[in-house]
Amino acid sequence: MSTQLLVFQVLNGLGIGMIYFLLSVGLTLIFGLMRFVNFAHGAFYLVAAYMAFAITRWTGSIWGALVVAPLAVALLAVIIERILLRHTYRMPHEAQILITFAVALLIQEAVIIVFGPLGQNVPPPTSLSGVVFLGPYVYPAYRLAVVAVAAFVAVGLWLVVERTKLGAVLRAGSESAEMVGLLGINVDRVFMTTFALGGALAGLAGVLAAPLRGVEPFMSVEALGIAFVVIVVGGLGTLSGALVGGLLIGLVQSIMSTLWPQGAQLMIYASMALVILARPSGLLGRF
Amino acid sequence: MTIDRRALLRGIATSPVALAAPPFLRHVSAQSGTLDIAAVYSLSGTFANVGTMLNDGSRWAVEKYDSVLGKKLNYLLLDDRGDPGEAVRKVQEVMTERGVKHIIGCTNSAIALAVQKEVYARGGIYVQEAGADESTGKDCNKSNFRWPVASYSAVNATVRPLIEKFPDAKKWYTITGQYVFGDSLLTNCKEVFKEKGVQHVGNSYHSLADREYSGYIATALAANPDVLAICNFGNQTVDVIRQAISFGVKRKTKILAIWSTGLDQYQALGPDNCEGVYFGCNFWHGVDTPGGRVVADVVKGKTGNVPNYLHACGYAVAQVLLEGLIKAGTTDVPAVIKALEGMTYEGPTGTEMVRPEDHQVIKDYYLMFGKAKSAMKDKNDYAEILAATKAFLPPEKTGCKMT
Repeated sequence: MSTQLLVFQVLNGLGIGMIYFLLSVGLTLIFGLMRFVNFAHGAFYLVAAYMAFAITRWTGSIWGALVVAPLAVALLAVIIERILLRHTYRMPHEAQILITFAVALLIQEAVIIVFGPLGQNVPPPTSLSGVVFLGPYVYPAYRLAVVAVAAFVAVGLWLVVERTKLGAVLRAGSESAEMVGLLGINVDRVFMTTFALGGALAGLAGVLAAPLRGVEPFMSVEALGIAFVVIVVGGLGTLSGALVGGLLIGLVQSIMSTLWPQGAQLMIYASMALVILARPSGLLGRF
Repeated sequence: MTIDRRALLRGIATSPVALAAPPFLRHVSAQSGTLDIAAVYSLSGTFANVGTMLNDGSRWAVEKYDSVLGKKLNYLLLDDRGDPGEAVRKVQEVMTERGVKHIIGCTNSAIALAVQKEVYARGGIYVQEAGADESTGKDCNKSNFRWPVASYSAVNATVRPLIEKFPDAKKWYTITGQYVFGDSLLTNCKEVFKEKGVQHVGNSYHSLADREYSGYIATALAANPDVLAICNFGNQTVDVIRQAISFGVKRKTKILAIWSTGLDQYQALGPDNCEGVYFGCNFWHGVDTPGGRVVADVVKGKTGNVPNYLHACGYAVAQVLLEGLIKAGTTDVPAVIKALEGMTYEGPTGTEMVRPEDHQVIKDYYLMFGKAKSAMKDKNDYAEILAATKAFLPPEKTGCKMT
């Protein structure tokens, strides 16, 4: 591999990694605070992607979806949390997995009924449909914009978690929800807010991913798989873990697609296995 | 050791004794005036969207025929969930427990290759839509028939005319799905490249699970090819094309998707992505033929739209089997096989013929070129046909030794 190609694959890997971070950050946020395993995360991503498709078809542009879809998915997440999931918080993880898996299947089938089983195209905004030249490298403008949004989300979430009162409550809740409750904070509402935020982040990822890979009803499974790999590698429940995990997986995938293309996908899971062996709690995990 | 009555009955039912049992034990449905047609499709897994539409096409064909030889047709869907092992288990089950002998369909080549051996071993007949050469090549058997062209034909009907159209495009790069069908396309590409003196500047394999191809595309770009040939199928073809275009590949390099499913993939890509891309295709709704009009009427009645390849292909495999049954005048498998060998019929692409030597349906394969959005005459007019070719290996070169 030439140096120029290696440098490009590293840059591309960082870009993929930021997209993977965006995919997984909502999942890790919910687990970090609520210790809740949300298998419906991919379905939230799916709903937002299809909203992006529908809004783009109606309005001719994806911009509206960037606002509407995350909010709508946050609302959907709250409804599901209020009606179903809050009853499972004290149940074992198996019950949470089963019920969120069922929700994911229901959403997927609903999408097939409404939109059909075939993939559809979501064009990027016209202003971002070309390529940009980074020295000798060519990179899609839209992909670069998604990386920028992911970086913005990472910084924004870090500020919220580390520098605001809400963040302090979230961090305290992740240590001991009971103690936070005893301090007079409505833990139930904090959980609901966290779930809505996690849903909104999944929604944002879905909207941004739609022009990158189109939409099709089974995209949720792929997103959920990547999200779990990222947070297992980075460390369950930590924002920095999702970022580091995403970047590591992106780099492995990109570099291996030149060094050993047929094994690139395999190496993602091999990396995960190695991390689990060396650090069972993930690279930045606390458990 | 003890054995209960239920286990004993189950053992008998699944043993060779059951296979040799009198017809009245097995052909219950036949006696009641119905004929079971089992269809093997993946309704979940990586290619579930493909399987779902193929299944629709086959089911609509069975509904259209309604009955043959005075027997009401009964469509039995076997959902293999994208797993060849599951497909074989389900085929075994319906063949042994229900006595089903007439089977159609597959969602990918690995499934077809597994099922065709099983159906042959159990004395059934199988019409399917695999792409791998082996299906009617070295793995052919008397029970097995294939409607779409083989990967040899797809490559020779697309790569060869494109090389002739652009003699200066000497450097080709391939991105290949590392599964039976992808490898089969790649092998045929290499042979054409060698014969035509074209330089194969590299290949990137991707796995069945891959959805992110930017790394492979970067590697391809580094080789500075004149043509990027894509050797995979389903959503993976669409994703590679979309991502290649987003990386600006179309600026300097021609893109050829050797095997596309046509309209549904063009819709998934959108006109801007389709423009200027070359596609290989088994079926196009714009080709006006008597058989194509029948499929169009059926699909329009169901969806209100024109048929895509998946509908047409699902329809065609059922049509081939049912036409064979009608011609044979009996459901008896050896007689139906004999009737099918050499049979001509009005299929979705025109007059099609079942080649007796390897049970391959001889039909056109199209090289298509994506139109600019401004040149589209209607919402489905994504591409024009540049060439329609019947490019088949002579029977003696397919490796098929019919058993």
